[in-house]
Amino acid sequence: MRVNTIDKLKHSVPNKTEKKKKKTKKEKEEDDSHIPPGAVFLVHLYSGLFVALGYWVAYRGYSINLISDPANTLLSIWVITCPVIVCLYSCFRHERENNSFRRAAFRGIISLPAGALMNACGAIVLGAPTPVEYLEKTFNWSFLMSAFTFAPAAAVYGSSSTDWHRIYGWKQTKETIDYMICLPAYGAVIGAWLGALPMPLDWERPWQEWPICVTYGAIAGYVVGCVGSWAVAFVRDMREKEKEKAE
Amino acid sequence: MPPLTCTKFALIIITGVIIQIIGLSLFVFGFFPVKPALSGTSGSESFHLPVCDSVGNRSDVTQPPDQLRSLYQELSGIPPSFDRLILMVIDGLPAEFVLGKDGKPPHKQFSEAMPYTQSLLASGLAIGYHAKAAPPTVTMPRLKAMVSGAIGGFLDVAFNFNTQAMLDDSLLGQFFRIGWEMVMLGDETWLKLFPGVFKRHDGVSSFYVKDTVQVDQNVSRHLGDELSRDDWNLLILHYLGLDHVGHIGGRSSVLMAPKLKEMDEVVKLIHSSTINSQENGQGQTLLMIVSDHGMTENGNHGGSSYEETDSLALLIGLRNHVFDYASVVQQVDIAPTLALLFGVPIPKNNVGVLITEAFDSLKEDERLRALELNSWQLLRLLQAQLPGLPCRNFPCDAFSGHQSSGTSECNHSTENMLCCMYMEAAALHSSWKSKRDSEAASQKDYSSTAAAYYMFLKSASEWLSHRSTDKPVKLLAVGLATMFISCLILSSLMFLMIKETYMGGKQQPSNVNNSMNRWSLDETFIISVVLVLVASMGSSSMVEEEHYIWFFMLSTFYLLLLRKTAESFAVGGQKSLSLQNGQGGKGCFRIFYIFLLLISGRILRGWHQGGVNWTSLPDISKWLELAGSQYVKSLQLVSAFLVITIGLFALFSIVSKGKLFQMVRLSFLTSALLVLLHIIRYQDYTFSSTNYGATLLAQIIYAILLAATVGTVVSLPWLIPFSTYKIRPTDDNALSLPSFLSFQEKFPFVELKDSLYVIGWAYIYSWCLLQLLLQQPINATPILLLLVQILASLHYFAGNRAHRKEWIEIAALYYMGMAGHFALGNSNTLATIDVAGAFIVSLCLRNNPVHLYRGFDCSCNWNLCTFSPALSEKKANSGQKQNKKTQEVALASSNHFFFYFFNATNFV
Repeated sequence: MRVNTIDKLKHSVPNKTEKKKKKTKKEKEEDDSHIPPGAVFLVHLYSGLFVALGYWVAYRGYSINLISDPANTLLSIWVITCPVIVCLYSCFRHERENNSFRRAAFRGIISLPAGALMNACGAIVLGAPTPVEYLEKTFNWSFLMSAFTFAPAAAVYGSSSTDWHRIYGWKQTKETIDYMICLPAYGAVIGAWLGALPMPLDWERPWQEWPICVTYGAIAGYVVGCVGSWAVAFVRDMREKEKEKAE
Repeated sequence: MPPLTCTKFALIIITGVIIQIIGLSLFVFGFFPVKPALSGTSGSESFHLPVCDSVGNRSDVTQPPDQLRSLYQELSGIPPSFDRLILMVIDGLPAEFVLGKDGKPPHKQFSEAMPYTQSLLASGLAIGYHAKAAPPTVTMPRLKAMVSGAIGGFLDVAFNFNTQAMLDDSLLGQFFRIGWEMVMLGDETWLKLFPGVFKRHDGVSSFYVKDTVQVDQNVSRHLGDELSRDDWNLLILHYLGLDHVGHIGGRSSVLMAPKLKEMDEVVKLIHSSTINSQENGQGQTLLMIVSDHGMTENGNHGGSSYEETDSLALLIGLRNHVFDYASVVQQVDIAPTLALLFGVPIPKNNVGVLITEAFDSLKEDERLRALELNSWQLLRLLQAQLPGLPCRNFPCDAFSGHQSSGTSECNHSTENMLCCMYMEAAALHSSWKSKRDSEAASQKDYSSTAAAYYMFLKSASEWLSHRSTDKPVKLLAVGLATMFISCLILSSLMFLMIKETYMGGKQQPSNVNNSMNRWSLDETFIISVVLVLVASMGSSSMVEEEHYIWFFMLSTFYLLLLRKTAESFAVGGQKSLSLQNGQGGKGCFRIFYIFLLLISGRILRGWHQGGVNWTSLPDISKWLELAGSQYVKSLQLVSAFLVITIGLFALFSIVSKGKLFQMVRLSFLTSALLVLLHIIRYQDYTFSSTNYGATLLAQIIYAILLAATVGTVVSLPWLIPFSTYKIRPTDDNALSLPSFLSFQEKFPFVELKDSLYVIGWAYIYSWCLLQLLLQQPINATPILLLLVQILASLHYFAGNRAHRKEWIEIAALYYMGMAGHFALGNSNTLATIDVAGAFIVSLCLRNNPVHLYRGFDCSCNWNLCTFSPALSEKKANSGQKQNKKTQEVALASSNHFFFYFFNATNFV
């Protein structure tokens, strides 16, 4: 809380009392970034559809799937999904007056490799195999994860550490757009984590290999996160309307 | 409800823990039942039908040997085909090397290494079997099984290195009773098992596993002399070298082929000498080559995989036979076969079935007699196990007419089935006898009789072996119930604590922010790890691959810490603009520690590919070994040097000038240098290098370390307050001594904390030095990394002591210890207990967390009351774990038990 206010102090025009400060800021942001649940739903629907499209292209066009050729299937998924996610989230960019759509999209694209690097490091630390033959799979998987986790936040907020801290931090106040970014991202990460759990079992299924079940888990978690963020947007919207009615 | 006082609290906790231990031990003794062995020995009564026990003359045991021998000869009805027996035990030789796998001939490298044995097999002079050994596949229980035919309890494994005399009936005892002269050369386990039965012996210790040459030379040097003598009836040769080769380099070691060749030479020597002696009229000699167990790909053994249980039984000296690569017998079958071949009673607890081919040279009636004797012996054992066995009710000599009545009660239960099978066989046998007397017996009658006997023998043997691993359900239930009670006590205590603290929190309104932080992410995670672990124990493959869980959870925990630190760093960074500059640097260091933990954790994970299913995947240790031993050696040196430096730095950075303290430093410095010397001079990788100097040096190191550690622990708390008191305030080096300083800020007993800190270091340091001395060279780097991890986590946790709960630190160190246990290449299979790098079984890190956090928790929180929530929680969790009544849990806990037990037995 306090951090936010301190941070906002720098940006906003200095007011005299703290309460007033907050209120003006809030009002301003509501004008700026109130997102109807329908839009949230559409954004998630599109990104989900394009993930499916990526898989479909790999499956129909090159007749490969996650099990037979995980690296290339993942490549197809992330190459198709990334631009869509970046563009979608760039529409919700922060401080619209200062940032053009192009700039936001550029930020999103730039963040992809950085996010991929972090995801890959995380995966390797958690035990992803490092021999050379796995590198391509890890590479493609981490780009997909980066599209789920990093690109939206970068497209919306750029590299502002306070905003990032607010989005991914624990128990911070969040806007609808923050939930829209962080819930699917958390969903993807937690899903991937859970997806790794059946790997040591001796079922001898082909999908127990390194990025396959983790990818399944990540996508499933992403979908759950999307549904969750839509639900949050819906609830917030209802409350907002009730408030307006009451006023 | 009145608040709990500290004493009361401690008392309840101690009671709970004690109840838990009692429950666990009850459970363990139930799970590993002591073998139900019959006491006493088989005498001449074993040549009579079991029903007529009263007829048997029990006093024959006291008869003089010669009389007894002729009595047995007369009663058995089987003329002995051999006069002498040479039992050659090749420790750890997998049958695959000689007989191949799945009916295929062995690999070329192996068959070329043993040309003579292969030629014997090809010409039919020898018959070979895959003799299935029962787990635990370690030497002593397997030797017992071979000579007594009994399947021992699983707990026998614990006594492998601490062998007691064998009191049960055995072949050697039987031979001794009929006055055989016996000579034993080789593994001294035989001497411990059978003290005083050998006329001459030369025992070698199996403990110095690095030696692959001397152990076998010690056996072979007497061989020529013994073979030329004719004053013995049984010659036991136990060659240990092959097992040692396996322990050092695995199945595909470069030393394997020369060792096999050496064994082949020995076989050749013995065989030619037996042919000679036969020609000279010194009597027939049977050469039996057996191995006690196999070995895994890495050369370890102890478990129940095919590679480990696939041991060899090779009979040389029988008549010609068509050789079959795939025939499988049980290891216990050796005992009745040898007993019947040499005309002694079959040992009382034998569950084996005679090997048919060994009796092929005999006449039909003798062969049937052998089967009959074996059946009688098993029937006796069955009767002892099942007092109500129906066969007992039949009169002694009235078998022939009762076949029809017997079949009526078949099919009811296994016991009745067994009985029926026996009745049928006996009936066929007697009808065959009467037919033979009237000379009307056909080949068909004989074969059907033999088949009937076999059916009975096989099923009885199977039933009896199953029976010996049955578990007493009541004991298990009592054990579980006891553990459950203790779990209830501890968890209720924990809830009480939580309630109290929660109420306490409510009274102070200023604590709202704190209570919001109460269930932060890492704490929730630590609880969930326990739940995940409990759930994972339900699956056997998760028990086998437990290390994955620990590594995964540990890394996740570190990542969560990283996230938390980064978050607070972001906050701290903002504050630092306005407040203070020191915060940012500290946060940087803390992030650095986490990265250190993560990286070293990942390297540790990749060092050994443990577990069961994926051991063949590439890992760093295999890669290094392939790269060459000089890399391993240099890496070992570097790591040893770094470990020693870090340890010394930690010891010397404590500013103190007490005399005692100097002594401690000096002794640790000396032992560190000696360890380094030992590594440089004696720990050569591939080739054996056991010599007096190495042993002496190791003993000196033990002595110094023991003296230094015990001395520190015992004397430091009393002496140090006077020495450090004055210097303390001047020390400002917060980074090198974080815990040191923070205790001083927090606790009143400052001096005590200092000394406890030093004690903790003494523990860790002596542990590291011991590990460097005992572990394989390849494990030196993991030890370094573990030390780094311990250091990094200590520094990390020392950073913000105010916001942290101690039990998180304890849990983190505990998880780290578990992961470290697996990082050193251990796993939950017995086979990975490593005897190679050590003079004693390697001290597992699994024991270590206890030591570590004893040292640290003492220094962290002396006060029991602040410590107890963590303890009670942990205990409650482990209690929960026990309540999952799956076998796997039991197996896992038994594994834990074993590791403790091993260390205990080895240090006794």
